[in-house]
Amino acid sequence: MVVSTLESSHPLDKYLRTARLPHIWCPGCGLGIALGSIMRAIDKRIKEGTLKKENLVFVTGIGCSARTSFYVNFDAAHTLHGRAIAFATGAKLAKPELEVIVIGGDGDIAGIGGNHLLHAAKRNMDLIVLMITNFVYAMTGGQVAPTTPLGLYTTTTPHGNPEPPLNVVKVVSSLNANYVARASVTHPALVEQYVYKALGMRGFRFIEILSTCPEIFGRHIGMRDPFTLYSTLRSKVIVKQSPSIEESDLDWGKGFVIGEYLVRDNPGYLDRIGRGLK
Amino acid sequence: MSASSTKFRVNIITNRCKECGICIGVCPTKVLVKGDKHNEHGFRYPLPVNIERCIGCRLCEYNCPDFAIFVEVVKK
Amino acid sequence: MRKSFISGNIAIAEGAITAGMRFFAGYPITPASDIMEYLAERLPEIGGVVTQFEDEIASINAVVGASWAGVKSMTATSGPGFSLMLEALGLAVITETPLVVVDVMRAGPSTGVPTKTSQSDVMQVRYGAHGDYVIPVFAPWSAQEAYDLTIKAFNVAESLRTPVILLSDAVIAHLWESVLLAEPGEVEVINRKKPSSPPDEYLPYKPDNDLVPPMATFGEGYNVIVESLIHDERGFYRQDREAYRNLVKRIVNKVLSRVDSLFEVEAYYGDDYKYLLVSFGSTARSALAAARILRKSGIKASLLRLKTLSPLKLETLRKYCDEAEKIFVVENNMGKLVHDVERAAENDKVISLPLLDLEIPEPKDIVEGVRKWL
Ligand SMILES: Cc1ncc(C[n+]2csc(CCOP(=O)(O)OP(=O)(O)O)c2C)c(N)n1
Ligand code: SF4
Ligand code: SF4
Ligand code: SF4
Repeated sequence: MVVSTLESSHPLDKYLRTARLPHIWCPGCGLGIALGSIMRAIDKRIKEGTLKKENLVFVTGIGCSARTSFYVNFDAAHTLHGRAIAFATGAKLAKPELEVIVIGGDGDIAGIGGNHLLHAAKRNMDLIVLMITNFVYAMTGGQVAPTTPLGLYTTTTPHGNPEPPLNVVKVVSSLNANYVARASVTHPALVEQYVYKALGMRGFRFIEILSTCPEIFGRHIGMRDPFTLYSTLRSKVIVKQSPSIEESDLDWGKGFVIGEYLVRDNPGYLDRIGRGLK
Repeated sequence: MSASSTKFRVNIITNRCKECGICIGVCPTKVLVKGDKHNEHGFRYPLPVNIERCIGCRLCEYNCPDFAIFVEVVKK
Repeated sequence: MRKSFISGNIAIAEGAITAGMRFFAGYPITPASDIMEYLAERLPEIGGVVTQFEDEIASINAVVGASWAGVKSMTATSGPGFSLMLEALGLAVITETPLVVVDVMRAGPSTGVPTKTSQSDVMQVRYGAHGDYVIPVFAPWSAQEAYDLTIKAFNVAESLRTPVILLSDAVIAHLWESVLLAEPGEVEVINRKKPSSPPDEYLPYKPDNDLVPPMATFGEGYNVIVESLIHDERGFYRQDREAYRNLVKRIVNKVLSRVDSLFEVEAYYGDDYKYLLVSFGSTARSALAAARILRKSGIKASLLRLKTLSPLKLETLRKYCDEAEKIFVVENNMGKLVHDVERAAENDKVISLPLLDLEIPEPKDIVEGVRKWL
């Protein structure tokens, strides 16, 4: 091995607030993988001229996943736990040329913010929502989350989680969203592909991104080693071309079906109120 | 640091690495191995010891949670 | 100017339009709903947006987002909805987001009496959210003033980068009066300061000498950071005491340092008095009638009406109180503003007249209340 000094910079550095790196996420946290994939999708859009850098806005709530807004070198808002979709809706309605992306944990988006998610999807609001599912409330130290598996120990379900997990893909698909997909950080190219596609669409676009939290979820299931947790999740992921909603449940036994569950081009909310761009 | 074969250069921004081992685990040709040097945050970054085996698949780059590793094609 | 016969609620809507508001988000609640209904008709005609959201939490968060997209924005609600908005009001405070929240008070606690009036939200609009802050609160007593103070609320919100509360009540809401509406250019309309530095030098929370940072908004190439955590001038999260104090003190002081222009009162029969009635909002209408009745019977009463409930200039209050033998704080609640008046005056002179009426109080009830102490 011939070693030399580093001469070039990371291809995504131009989209990152590098002064804030290394980020706060724990070693091996899937959030960084998700963020990288999202940035590559954006890079592709910007390079091909279908997205203007200054029009992109990231809106996040509160949680580990929500910290993505710290690191993106775009307009970014780190708002309140659960309220990112509402904030984002206001921004988009006020200035339709913005491309607004919401990123949040499953607690942020589907727990405390669940009502906003339902109504944004019902409106077919012109937003992209990326929900990071790490199966636990990570930032607050490992409490039960909407997606926590049935029976699992968490700090607030010490006798086992008595509730089956929420299938958010199914919920959003039952509404008026234009795009519903599920991805996994263990398949970064698909995260990139789905985000890229969503960026070219109108209306409500929802992508659930399964992710690894070695620090807390890993501890709960006895898998602290990041790569062990990563490979375990990867082994449970089943990639399908056009999966059906019937197979979308979050099932640690049968595995997680990822893919594009719903793709359509109905008029978005902005079209319906006469503020659409197309 | 960086290391090149005739075709690919693997670059590591050592101070960003958090020693998670994911790049090592996902590399299909076992280019990367656990290093023994600590960066300024106390993490041991990986080393592209078997750089000549690199096939440029970028799995290490895409799966690194810390934007610490990236791969370039060597220009002739 | 053009004269129009409108209700207090419509006056608020018209005032907002005059001030340049083009985004409204809300959730129906008596007695505020007709502000949204009126705007839903009017605003799209002039390029604005009105959306009914799933709740008040969404409404105010959308308003914060819209303001960051560069559009003057407002929401309107009543007590129960205001309670739900408090967390995001704090967000607007710490992110220095210009916006206006209208609280049309009704009787509480809880669902209370939705259709009846009250002045019991005085504390919650000033102090309801967690954390330390001071935000301006204006309380109109007529439809005309509802119009004028709404414009002022926006001007203050924009120039100080702060949320501002317009505190109305069920009486003002549905009081129809002739109102002079301004044509464009006839009243001052203030817009937020924009940065003069290029994007790579811009620090989103670095204040000018006036303690207010210029505001770049979304889509302008400034890579703005909207940060709900305690942050430094760059908008980066900081957990140290220095950054915490810097930010919180500045946010408080930028409002307090404007107290002279923010704090407005109006005195009636103020030349020669022995007894001072202090009141605000719709109750002040009855208090004025009561003062008149008292004077007719030879009792030298006067009225001091507060148009601003926050920030208060205690010296101004004190000046009026010093002249009086007794001060009666007339409020349609169990006694809230009285605590402030007690701070301004010698304590034993201040008498609380809590009316707790569901209607606009009868002047005779105030007269009786005063007479008891003479
Ligand atoms: C109103 C409110 N309630 C509670 C909290 C505390 N809190 C912060 S993050 C969080 C949950 C985080 O879980 P999730 O949204 O799934 O994101 P993750 O950290 O797992 O990425 C909670 C409960 C808060 N910040 N605000
Ligand atoms: S606690 Fe979990 S989700 Fe949060 S940064 Fe650490 S590994 Fe990631
Ligand atoms: S590019 Fe592929 S082969 Fe080369 S080091 Fe990275 S993972 Fe290994
Ligand atoms: S994946 Fe990145 S952070 Fe993890 S060991 Fe490799 S270079 Fe370091």
